[in-house]
Amino acid sequence: MSAPGRKPKRGLAHRLLRYALPYRKSLLLSLVLILAVSASINYLPVLIQRLTDTCLLDSSAPGAVRLERLGRIGLLYLIIAFAGYSLRYLQGILTAWIGQRIVYDLRVDVFRKAMRMQQAWFDRMPVGTLLTRVTSDIERLQNFVTEGVVGTVADLFMLVGIMGYMLLISLRLSIILWILLPPLFTLLFFVNRKLRTANRMIRRRQSELNALLQEDLTGMTTIQLFNREAAARKEFDERNGLLREAHFEEVRWFSAYFPVIETGQAVAIAVILAAGGAWLLKGGNPLTLGALVAFLAYIRDFFRPLGSLSDKAGSFQVAMASAERIFELMDTPEEVADPDDPLPADRIDGAIAFEKVSFAYDGKTPVLKNISFTVEPGQVLAVVGATGAGKSTLINLVGRFYDVQEGRITIGGTDIRRFRKEELRKRIGYVFQDPFIFAGSVADNISLLNPDLTREDLVRAAQSVNADHFIRALPKGYDTLLNERGEGLSLGQKQLLAMARALAQNPELLFVLDEATANIDTATEMLIQDALGRLMKNRTSIVIAHRLSTIRHADRILVMRHGELIDSGTHDELMARAGYYRNLYELLRH
Amino acid sequence: METAIQTPPVRLSRYIAQHKAEIALTIVCALVTVCINLVLPYIMRLAIDGLTAGTLTPTQLTHQILLYLGLTALTLWFARQLRRIPLRFSHQIEYDVRRDLFAHLTRLDQEFYRKERTGNLMTRMSSDLIVVRDAIGQGFLQGTRTVTALLFASVVMVWIAPELALLIFCLYLPIIIFFTVVLNVVRVRQKALQEQASDVSNFAQESFVGIRCIKGFALDRRRNRLFEELTGELARREVQLQTLRQLLWPLMAFWFGVGTLVLLYAGGRQVIAGTVSVGVVVQFLQYLLYLQWPLLSLSWMLSLLQRSKVCWERILEIFQSRPQITDTAETDFAIRELDGSIDWRDVSLELDGTSLLRDINLSVPSGKTIGITGPTGSGKTLLVSLAARLMDPTGGELYVGGHPVKTIPLDVLRRHIGFASQEPVLFSRTLEHNIAFGVAIPEEKIITWAADVAHLHGDVEEFPERYQTVLGERGVTLSGGQRQRTSISRAVARLPQILILDDVLSSVDTQTEAAIMSKLQPVMKNRTCLFVSHRASTLRYTDEIIVIEEGRITQRGTHDELIAQPGYYSELNRLQQLQQQLEEAQ
Repeated sequence: MSAPGRKPKRGLAHRLLRYALPYRKSLLLSLVLILAVSASINYLPVLIQRLTDTCLLDSSAPGAVRLERLGRIGLLYLIIAFAGYSLRYLQGILTAWIGQRIVYDLRVDVFRKAMRMQQAWFDRMPVGTLLTRVTSDIERLQNFVTEGVVGTVADLFMLVGIMGYMLLISLRLSIILWILLPPLFTLLFFVNRKLRTANRMIRRRQSELNALLQEDLTGMTTIQLFNREAAARKEFDERNGLLREAHFEEVRWFSAYFPVIETGQAVAIAVILAAGGAWLLKGGNPLTLGALVAFLAYIRDFFRPLGSLSDKAGSFQVAMASAERIFELMDTPEEVADPDDPLPADRIDGAIAFEKVSFAYDGKTPVLKNISFTVEPGQVLAVVGATGAGKSTLINLVGRFYDVQEGRITIGGTDIRRFRKEELRKRIGYVFQDPFIFAGSVADNISLLNPDLTREDLVRAAQSVNADHFIRALPKGYDTLLNERGEGLSLGQKQLLAMARALAQNPELLFVLDEATANIDTATEMLIQDALGRLMKNRTSIVIAHRLSTIRHADRILVMRHGELIDSGTHDELMARAGYYRNLYELLRH
Repeated sequence: METAIQTPPVRLSRYIAQHKAEIALTIVCALVTVCINLVLPYIMRLAIDGLTAGTLTPTQLTHQILLYLGLTALTLWFARQLRRIPLRFSHQIEYDVRRDLFAHLTRLDQEFYRKERTGNLMTRMSSDLIVVRDAIGQGFLQGTRTVTALLFASVVMVWIAPELALLIFCLYLPIIIFFTVVLNVVRVRQKALQEQASDVSNFAQESFVGIRCIKGFALDRRRNRLFEELTGELARREVQLQTLRQLLWPLMAFWFGVGTLVLLYAGGRQVIAGTVSVGVVVQFLQYLLYLQWPLLSLSWMLSLLQRSKVCWERILEIFQSRPQITDTAETDFAIRELDGSIDWRDVSLELDGTSLLRDINLSVPSGKTIGITGPTGSGKTLLVSLAARLMDPTGGELYVGGHPVKTIPLDVLRRHIGFASQEPVLFSRTLEHNIAFGVAIPEEKIITWAADVAHLHGDVEEFPERYQTVLGERGVTLSGGQRQRTSISRAVARLPQILILDDVLSSVDTQTEAAIMSKLQPVMKNRTCLFVSHRASTLRYTDEIIVIEEGRITQRGTHDELIAQPGYYSELNRLQQLQQQLEEAQ
């Protein structure tokens, strides 16, 4: 959604900067280190110059003096080099650390924000997109912070340092070198831009090829059934060929990149040699041969930051696009919010009442129409009706996965929107028809990592819903690791596990989605029915019922059809009326 | 045309051998580049020595500078080719291998795809192949350059000043060993980092997929805390990796500085002693500089080669998979046409030790329609899959058109079949492409007719670009019923001898079902049709109905015969009538 008044890029940079603010001292230290590194490392060629001039070339001095100078300057060189590169290393680690801290803060904020969003938002948002926000978008920002921002500053200071020392050695040679720079930098920048374009093309074509491959692999049987193998191969070859062309284009510019730098260096060396040599030959000016040698060393140092600077220009745009997406997520309004002045949690007690509730998931097609009913504390309410009658929506609304659009839902007479969501949900237990299994041990899946629950509590909960038996039969019992698909467990076992989970949390209110599920064997089915009975005992429960045993044992039954409440009463009352319910019941008997 | 081709075993060397000329050129380019790079410092030495001694004339200097520039211009071209040629042919090899891999994948049967995960295959065809390609490209590029540079530089340096040469070798040896060790540790840490990154990603994915459960049990805080722990560990590992990786450059630069100093010191002593000139020292400084990259890339190259070996073996695994369902020596290529009769004779099917079909004896004469029903998982889909030879029976024999199915060329058999399944795979192309998927020359007439048979034409009229509408994420998302109807159109558009409809109306409402059946019936009339369904309302139109329960045929007869006898079918019929009453009830 493009929000009105989308924030300009300056706003983005500002917000990013806010994340850097807590680390300003470290950042300052990093800057100081960068200065020190630039000053020390770039001083080394000056020492080389001295060494060349005073030891190697000064044939007027006696050999012993020259040797002594050689040792002294050499030692100084060693010390400064060691200090400079150590500082450079420290600065590298510090920068990496700062970058990681910032990224950590950002990632945690994005995740927390996502977790606060309402269910309706998750219904619309593909998981893949969300995942991109907390992974690759954040990683791009991390690169930008560490290599982009700090790297650019470091490169700039290196250049400034080199230029400073060059000036110190010879003004004339410096000016000549700098004249060479703009065309070279332009050339590098040009090659770099071509390279970036080529790389973008590679990425796009690679993902197009992957999309085709994924689809063809999934549908290979269909392809074979319809004799499309040859056509599929031809299509694949086309995209494969396009990818190859993109790679060739990249190679074209990549192969030029380093030779251009090397040639640039060589040209610079030649020009410096020519100019310096000519001056030396003319004589009578302060340029020494040592200065010439030092200059040659600077030329080499000069090109490294220059190349990496032109590299970085492109990463800025990519990072800004990621930042924009991230902050767009951060700015999405939270619709099912906590109240500003929540009522104390102990008021969540008493009868649950729906008062003239209407609701539509899309805001247009009503799923619930003007529904009113009350569940007294301790009562078991069964909701029956055909698929799409709006039964599960009732449960979604009480847990505030969504908020009602008309009417209200109350607990003990208080609108549930006056409570904090967490307090409300803590009192509710859910058993979903296809329970979600977290990657982790069976015990963790029951306790949901609630620190107040002991292993005994878990076992007791599992025992009372008949789950203990099959859990103990698993390879490592309660410590068996499950993956997120719950592989190795049957659907019936997953449901038993979900009941143990709900019971262990010991909620006051219970909601059960009891869809009759195919593929559950009779023995497990008996266990589930029995467990359901125990789970609901003495607990205010709303059951979306499909099992006859559940329906018959309910204190009251609501009959729903197309979002409306068409009948209610006990099983016997409803059967006596010979209406919709009786037909439904007949159907469910099979 | 799918024929039984005996392909020789796939080898990487075969792919590389196709580029002999390019490899030779790469070596030539490496030789030229290295030689020029060794000559340039010599020119520099001449200039400097001339300047020191004061013997250099301006003309000489000009000549030397021009020579230097000329050689530089020459090396620009060769250095570029040295990179371009091997990288280009590495991409060509990548293309060739990927093309052959895909061609091989189109020949593998359903059994292979049942066992292999798509993601796994994708990885081999992208990231694994990329590692192999990089190893080839960089291998030839760095390999030729490093070897020639080392060889020639050694000869030249030893020739000019053996002591200084020895010094340079002694300086580089420890740093190469150190680099190899550090790079190994970096790789280990990098792997640990990637594992943690995928843990974070998996945790986030789990949180988003399981959001209902998390909100339902108010687990937000606990999840947030766990996420913070995982992310914190990720940050810690990244810093850990960086403490090593950040070491590499400063260390290398420092070592180079030390090298320069040592060279200057040792060279300086000799200069003072008068045994070598200043120019020689400068020349050696340039060699020191020139050799550092080729030498350091050595350790990196070795690790790349190692990794690529593992990746290539994983790619080879795909090449080594052989399809079970394929044309063999038994195949009778004289069979070009088939009539539509299908015979299952004592057919049984076992998969992974589980018996799924037993004692199937069923004969469907050409042109007849047979209804197949039974509980979920009883083997209906397997029964019809055998007819299309998606798998072969493990016992008994299947005949199509009077021929044992294994003797019929696979493409002939499939050409006679139109197959539509309950959960069809559609392709994210135009609707036209999907309907005409099995038609050699797609005509508009056929496409609209096929769409009309499946009662799809009306829906299509409402799509933005009618038959040119793209399906899937980038276009229109079809409902379950529309997908099934598209799949019916796709099957009938082939005008097949044998039509297999595997529960294709399960997501279609009763009204549409009746409309489709009335149009589908005439199409079914002239063809052999296997019609799998859960609904008595559609099964009643068939010539004969069989009931499959737990892999066996338990009932057979016409609709009227079967509702008269107790059993699965009459129960199914009764329940559906009840359901209909419920729907019709006010």
